[in-house]
Formats: sequence, structure tokens, C-alpha cells
Amino acid sequence: MGTENGSDESSRKALEYSAYYGGKIEVVPKVPVRSLDDFAIWYTPGVAAVARAIEKDPDLSFEYTNRWNTVAVLTDGSRVLGLGDIGPEASMPVMEGKALIYKYLGGVDAVPIPVRASSEDEFVRIAQSLEPALGGINLEDIASPKCFGVLEKLRASMKIPVWHDDEQGTAGVTLAALYNALELTGRDIKDSKIVLFGSGAANIATANLLIKAHAVAGDIILVDRKGTLHAEREDMDQLLLKNRWKYEMALKTNASRVSGGLRDALKDADVLVAAATPGPDVIKKEDIAVMSRNAIAFLLSNPVPEMWPDEAKRAGAAVVATGRSDFPNQVNNSVLFPALFRGALDVRATTISDTMVIAASKELAKFSMDKGLTETNIIPNMLDWEVFPKVAAAIGEKAQGEGLARKSVGRAELVAKAEATMKRARSLSSLLIQKGIIQPPPEYLAAEK
Amino acid sequence: MQRRSETRLAELVIREAAARDLKDASALVVRMKRLNGEFDPLFKVVDDVSEKAEKYLRGSIGAADRLVLVAVIDGKVMAVLRAEIRERVFYSPSKEGVITDFYILPEARRKNAGKDIITAASKKLRNMGAEMIVAEFPAQNEIAVRFYTKRGFRAFVDTFAIED
Repeated sequence: MGTENGSDESSRKALEYSAYYGGKIEVVPKVPVRSLDDFAIWYTPGVAAVARAIEKDPDLSFEYTNRWNTVAVLTDGSRVLGLGDIGPEASMPVMEGKALIYKYLGGVDAVPIPVRASSEDEFVRIAQSLEPALGGINLEDIASPKCFGVLEKLRASMKIPVWHDDEQGTAGVTLAALYNALELTGRDIKDSKIVLFGSGAANIATANLLIKAHAVAGDIILVDRKGTLHAEREDMDQLLLKNRWKYEMALKTNASRVSGGLRDALKDADVLVAAATPGPDVIKKEDIAVMSRNAIAFLLSNPVPEMWPDEAKRAGAAVVATGRSDFPNQVNNSVLFPALFRGALDVRATTISDTMVIAASKELAKFSMDKGLTETNIIPNMLDWEVFPKVAAAIGEKAQGEGLARKSVGRAELVAKAEATMKRARSLSSLLIQKGIIQPPPEYLAAEK
Repeated sequence: MQRRSETRLAELVIREAAARDLKDASALVVRMKRLNGEFDPLFKVVDDVSEKAEKYLRGSIGAADRLVLVAVIDGKVMAVLRAEIRERVFYSPSKEGVITDFYILPEARRKNAGKDIITAASKKLRNMGAEMIVAEFPAQNEIAVRFYTKRGFRAFVDTFAIED
């Protein structure tokens, strides 16, 4: 969950540095080119033998090429950060940023691919056509509800993992933080009343994942601009036609048909997950006050949470998380997606199931628990390097257990391989800086203005 | 004719509407009319659609050539179907039972309620003299097309429109 409106200074630097460096990533060879003679191996005529071998067995493309480690960061630019439908070209810097995080934290070679697609089906066809080059696809910043249909169709039709980070990533990290928040407050997910404020892609995916993680569907209430979602709402038929994922959620959640607004939903609720609209003051202290004792409040909108965390605490929340790094408990997809794809790629997974995501969430939660749970430490952050290989291994193991992996790899080997790949990526970056190949930004740009 | 009989299907009771159902059944007709508007702007509802729907049903309940069925679960009206008998002066069969309005609340869908209500309505319309059953709905309503096609209906009359 990035911030769409950075400070003026970071905006200036982002603009000037982007121009100075000409983008954030590049393709670098990983084989020795000692002389031009080596091209006879890496390219023609030698490469023809490799091509013939893959022709006979297409799965060898994972062995003989970098396909095994390649993920497309694919978007149509229809809902970029909080900026809306800004188009594929304008989405490129965001996709490059994602690719940078993939490499730096997960050792994954992610390729930004913003595409011009006029319809959901056209986008799906483009994604499908890319399969031979890829080990996986990360869908990014696609408008809701189109994103649901795209993900559903691609998951059903492709033999490589397709992941929509705005849905599944947010849901997975939220679940990880929630596991520990529930533990801290002595709750069980099965007995908890959970309110999701906002019913866009993130919260609908979160609701689905919570149900898979044994939350009781009827005890979940989603709230949108029109109020609580339930099966008797007047706009159900419109939802059926325009957003059937939300329609399905209305049918299965809110069994007691609570009507009204957020405060009505929050009465005696144990958990609030807000992914609604940037605050502050979108949620009032009076809203938190009607929740049950020692309530849990995740206020995830960026750049400003729906209410300030200290205010939520004063109103009675025992554990508070936000999407920001300058507050405790940042619910940040970056602690999940690089490691998750690392694990999926290392076992050559054919998909990423919801139960694989839950396994990753549990691993993230366990890491914080092992470090010592407190109300300000319920979820790892991006500096917790040690957790990423463990998350990768959890994904790899679960994929194998569910018959969704092409490779069989033991846990110790999974951890070791993920550690090595991730460390190599960070070492490469450090080395290029140390050697002066990647230069620091010039002083005239770096100086505060 | 079994015009006052009740058909119990699991927890769903399908019966002819009575005056006491008017308010709830009208609300469902309004939902259906609004749904039509989602498919085609020529079905945009008028401001006093609720009053009109109630009057429409009041004139149909108990009328000899009209049928209003409701499906009830635990006392709550979950579906409404309105139909009428029409003469086919130039053709044979000469009488058709036309389903003009049919709406099921979302929570009652996917439980075979639709099939059961159509079956009950067809039986009653045949008892009223209909020799064929017809369903009217907006051409753009693909959900209705799928629903009726699945139950053996086929496209029968095309209605084309042009706005001034």
C-alpha cells in the first residue's frame, strides 16, 4: 500500500531522480561474456540446441532460460494508486517501483508491462499470450470490479501463478497482522465479529480470505458508501449486474442483516479493517467507542489513515495498525509479495491458492510472535530480512502439499535457496553502488530544497 | 381450478397473493422495474413507481384473467409473479398465459425457487385456459434469457423500439 501523495520534497526527488537515472531498473547479463566468441554459446549457433530441447519439452524453458525467475508486473493503468485511470504509460513508474522491490527483497526478476487494453477480455488475452515467457504474473492497479474478473479468468486458465497484489497481497498481510492482534487481545477468529469498512478490491479479497481462514461469514459486515452490505439491500440487482463479487459477499456476510452505517455495524464488533478513503476524521472516536472492549482497528488508507492511531487508542482500541511506515504496525504488502513469489517460483508453482496465502500469513505472524508480541509489534516490516525466506519456504511447502508445484523441494533447501537468491540480489545492488556503477544522486539534486 | 391452493416446497410456500401481500409484493415489482432500467434506459422508472406498482397489483389480485403468485419463506414474501391471460385472435393456440412480472429476492435465488414458481404459475395459467406460456422481459436482460431458455422457452416475438 503505497502513498499516492508524497511530501513535496520526495515528489521533487522522485521526478528529478527518475529523469537522472532514466528509470529504476535495467536488464543485466548473468553469464560470463569473456569475449565475442562467447556469443557462439549464448547466442547463435549454440543457442539453437537449447531452443530445440525446449521445443521437445516446453517445461525445459524453466531450466534453460530465466523464465523460472521472471514475473510480469502487468497493468492497464486503470486504477493506479489513488490517482485513478491514468493510463498505461503513466503507470510505468509505479510498475518499475514494484519490480525494484521484487528484485531487492525477493530476488525476483520482475518486468513492468503496462498494456493498452480496451476491455477485460482483451487484457485477459494479452496476459494469456505472455505465459511462455513467464514464471508468474503480478496484476497491479487494475480498476475494480474488472480486477476480479481478470484474476478469476487468468487463475482458471493459466499454468503459472497469477497474483493480484491489490487484492490478495493486502488480504494476506492484513490476515497476518490480524492473527497477532487477535492473539494479543485473547480472541479467536472463529468467534470474532469483523467489520470491513470499504468494499473495494482489497476488502472484498480480505473478506474472502478471512472466511477461508475460518472467520464466520455471517459475522463479517462490509460497509460501503451506501451503508452496511446485506442481502436485502435495495441495490442488490445493480450489484449482481455490475459487481457480482460484491453481490456474493452481500449474500454470505452480515447474517443478522444489520442495516445503517458504519457505527451500526461497529456495535460490539471485535475488529475493524478500514480500507475506505483517506482520512483523517473519516472514522470518528464515537465509532470506535461502540466496539467491544479492547477492540482491534486497522486503518489502512494512505497517505492518511481513516483516523489517527492515537485517537483510535484513546477511543478504546487496544491494537491499531495503519498502512504507514511512520506508525507502529504497518500493514504493507511489501513484506509478502516478494517472498511469496520467491517461494512460488522456487517450486515452480502452477498457481497461488488461498491456503498458500494463509500459510504465508501465518509465517509472517509467527515471526512477530517469536520476536515478542506487543501492541506495537504485530507484523514484520521490510527490514526483517530473516522472515522472507521463511515465508518463501511456507509458500513452497504448501504448494507441494496441495499438488500445485512442479518441483519437489524440502523445507531446509527452500529456505537456503530463497536466502541465497535474496542475498544475491541485495549484494548485487550493494556491489554496483560500491563499484560506482550505480552512482549516488548528484548533490545538486540530493540537497534539500 | 385450484386457484386458492398452496404448494409447499421445502420451506418455500407458493400461493396466490392476497390483499395482505400487496405492500410486500409491490415492493418486489418495483425492484423488478428498476432492474429493467439497468438493462435499457427505455425502462427508466417513473417517480411514483411505488404507487403505480401497488395499483397495478391491486387490480390484478383476484381478477379472473390475471394471476399474482407470491413465494413466502417464514412469512416473508420472497418472490412475486404476475401473469395475465391474453386472447390470440388470429392464431392458434388462441389463449396465452403471459408472465409480465417475475422477481425473486437475491437471498432466495439459486434454491430452485424460480423453477418452482414458474412451474406453479404455468399450471395455474393452464387451469385458467392458457394453451401456451409466454414470458415478457427487456430484450437486454440476459439473465432472464438464460433463465427461460434453460426451462425450454424460446424467443417468440421481437419488439423493436426507436426514441423520438
